[in-house]
Amino acid sequence: MTAPAFRTCPFTSLKVDRHAEMLIRANAVVSVVALLVGAVAAVMLVLTRWQAVHLLPAVWFYRILGVHGMSMLIFFIIFFEMAVLYFASTALLNARLVVPKLAWACFGLMVIGAVMVEWMMWAGKADVLFTSYVPLRAHPLFYLGIILFAVGALLVTVIFFANLVVAKREKTYEGSLPLVAYGAVAAAIIAIITLLHGAAIYIPTFLWSLDLMEVDPQVYRMVWWGLGHSSQQINVAAMVSVWYMLGALTVGAVVLNEKISRSAFVLYVLFISMASAHHLLVDPGMGPAWKIVNTSYFMYMAVLASMIHGFTVPAGMELGQRLRGYTNGMFEWLRKAPWGDPGFSALVFSVVVFGFVGGITGVAIGTEQINIIAHNTLRVPGHFHATVVSGTALAFMGVTYYVIPLIFRKKVAFWGMAKMQPYVFAIGMFIFTMSMTFAGSFGVPRRHWDISFSNAPFDVQFSPAVDVLLAFVAIGGLLAATGAFMFIAIAVKSVFLGEPLGEVTRGRAMAGVPQGLTHPPTHAPNVDELNAALHHPSRGIFGVAPGTLALAGVFLLAFVLYYFVNWKVLSFVWKIG
Amino acid sequence: MTPETHTGLQSPRGVWWKPAHKAEKVWVAIAFGWCMVLFAMMPLWHLKGGQNPSGIRRKVDPEAFFQRTQEFIAQYQIGDDRGMPIVAPPAGSDVYLTAMAFQWTPILQLEKDKEYVLHLSSRDVNHGFSLYPLNINFQVVPGYDYGLRVKPTEAGDFRIICNEFCGIGHHIMVGRVIVLDGAPQAATAETAVVAGGDR
Amino acid sequence: MASPHPPPDPQGDAQQDVPLGQRLFDNVFLWLVAGIAVMAIVYTGWGLYEILSMPPATLP
Repeated sequence: MTAPAFRTCPFTSLKVDRHAEMLIRANAVVSVVALLVGAVAAVMLVLTRWQAVHLLPAVWFYRILGVHGMSMLIFFIIFFEMAVLYFASTALLNARLVVPKLAWACFGLMVIGAVMVEWMMWAGKADVLFTSYVPLRAHPLFYLGIILFAVGALLVTVIFFANLVVAKREKTYEGSLPLVAYGAVAAAIIAIITLLHGAAIYIPTFLWSLDLMEVDPQVYRMVWWGLGHSSQQINVAAMVSVWYMLGALTVGAVVLNEKISRSAFVLYVLFISMASAHHLLVDPGMGPAWKIVNTSYFMYMAVLASMIHGFTVPAGMELGQRLRGYTNGMFEWLRKAPWGDPGFSALVFSVVVFGFVGGITGVAIGTEQINIIAHNTLRVPGHFHATVVSGTALAFMGVTYYVIPLIFRKKVAFWGMAKMQPYVFAIGMFIFTMSMTFAGSFGVPRRHWDISFSNAPFDVQFSPAVDVLLAFVAIGGLLAATGAFMFIAIAVKSVFLGEPLGEVTRGRAMAGVPQGLTHPPTHAPNVDELNAALHHPSRGIFGVAPGTLALAGVFLLAFVLYYFVNWKVLSFVWKIG
Repeated sequence: MTPETHTGLQSPRGVWWKPAHKAEKVWVAIAFGWCMVLFAMMPLWHLKGGQNPSGIRRKVDPEAFFQRTQEFIAQYQIGDDRGMPIVAPPAGSDVYLTAMAFQWTPILQLEKDKEYVLHLSSRDVNHGFSLYPLNINFQVVPGYDYGLRVKPTEAGDFRIICNEFCGIGHHIMVGRVIVLDGAPQAATAETAVVAGGDR
Repeated sequence: MASPHPPPDPQGDAQQDVPLGQRLFDNVFLWLVAGIAVMAIVYTGWGLYEILSMPPATLP
């Protein structure tokens, strides 16, 4: 007798397709392996840019910088997102995985591609950094490895849509897709946009590396960033999806308005990828009209989308808490929230650092003219470590604390350490990103081995403040790396050597089981009445989520100030036109 | 009856295309207004602001650009600093700067408050023009002539850092730009070098 | 956690009352095509046009 194709989750009553579950596990495990490689690289890099230590020699610094970029921005994050796509199109919908054999073939292809790329980089055959700008040249197998990885990932997005079509046809769920799945759809569409650009640039570049065709350097940059930055927008959509999911799991966050939240995802799908242009704002290849229309995500419509999610995610959490009785004052809902649940703390830090540090700095330096004082300085990695690392990676870490019991059906190992891990990582990354951004505003270059310029023909004297800032970059980076290693240790131990989950008694705290599972944030049977009461017009604009509205006001103020300060600073430099 | 209030993990029931609560509408309206401000600033700065990356943008053969740079050097050279020619072009002229692994050629001597068209290109790979400590940054792409109309606003002895990875000598790739306060009385190599410090 | 897929409600959920906006949003393939099209035209297509139509330098 064959094993049943589904198991029923004892917590959510969802029907989980066994093949999908195995693939979620496989992709999650490889994702964490890539994170480990990237984190080891990160430690070596910060200890090199800390001039007092200057750990790696020049050749290895640039080599490891490429390894770090590839391992984190592509392999860690995309393997994790494959797991998210499988989850959102099967388990979340009680649906089956339509072509398990193809799915496994894709996984194999992605692993082979990743191994080829890492091998070429470590062997010194691809000292071209993550962006591999032509005419810098790598070994053909480097490009081929990326192509194989991308083909595998593209096919997984196709499987994702196939799962959705079949789920709808077989009526495995009623009505519309849950919002979390809708966000995954946005991520999958952006992934397809990304991978199509990847094919468009890496296939010619692969042929160029074999001397079979020419590739124009400006065309390369323009098309490559259609892959390079759009891949980060997959991360934004996936992160927001995970925010809604973690909000639901940890505090019973409710959806304020499906139309508004889904509109924001639609705006992402239509416009967010265009902002790849903000890497090209001071390039000679394109004119101001193209730059302005594209860098603005089409009149900032995708920024509007982020500002919407930035409100609806915390507001949904606040409303969820208020509906469960936390109605005292503006912030009881936040004070009495489960700060000891690593899924919750990761969620909050992800939202705050992504929004305040990542989002605000990104819009500023992505402005056509402000980019003049930011391009290729440390302001750029300062920004993107606040978005993709403190935002997406941290959210992924947070959701892992639920994936371990729900999908791997193990207890979370090193539970005391797990509760602290998001704090360690977030604080480290905050120090790192703030120091790095500030150093960049002094003109410190990114991707640079030696800012003492000890062998250059002319002297360059940076302010002593820069040495202090780079030391803080290292300290923050080491703290964050510690947080990353903590997470890796927890994940590896839980999955491979962890205690099986066993029985979970509702209402009784259990080491290794997050609060969202032992004390599920369920709503009262009369929740609709309570919700209607909070929405009542007599309560005015502050009825539903006053705390979030106040925080949103603080965010807007910070945004306006930082933005206009940048214009002021720009106005002091030479006249350029 | 199952409640309508639901989490992001649950399928919404029936019709969910409904008006939002006032707080959401107000926030979306404010955010939209801010986005319009963000968008308007860029064209506005083109009209009223002094710093725009527009430039005169042309396709060029890298060797032809390098040759033109050599002619430019021959025409206006006034000296050299440790082997790198110092060139003092007249106000209003076309100025040529070639980036190549791993140097910026030549050293430019310009005058404050005068306009020039600064042509940037590369002889080989991508480089990053980063004028320190002003923090003026542009991408230098082989095959493309980026003619930036510039007007220095302060005198000084500036450095050009390369901030786009260009190979193993990337971090020693440093150039020099001198900006004088007025027309030099007797522009000599010694004057220029002394003005620039001991290295 | 509450069961995510409750039994169908015999009163509500009538297809005939679903507004156009909701039906459009539910059509994921519409957005797939639109997303690819917008990017291909406004970023990639226009960008290629900018680069390829650039005049040659006169090196004055």
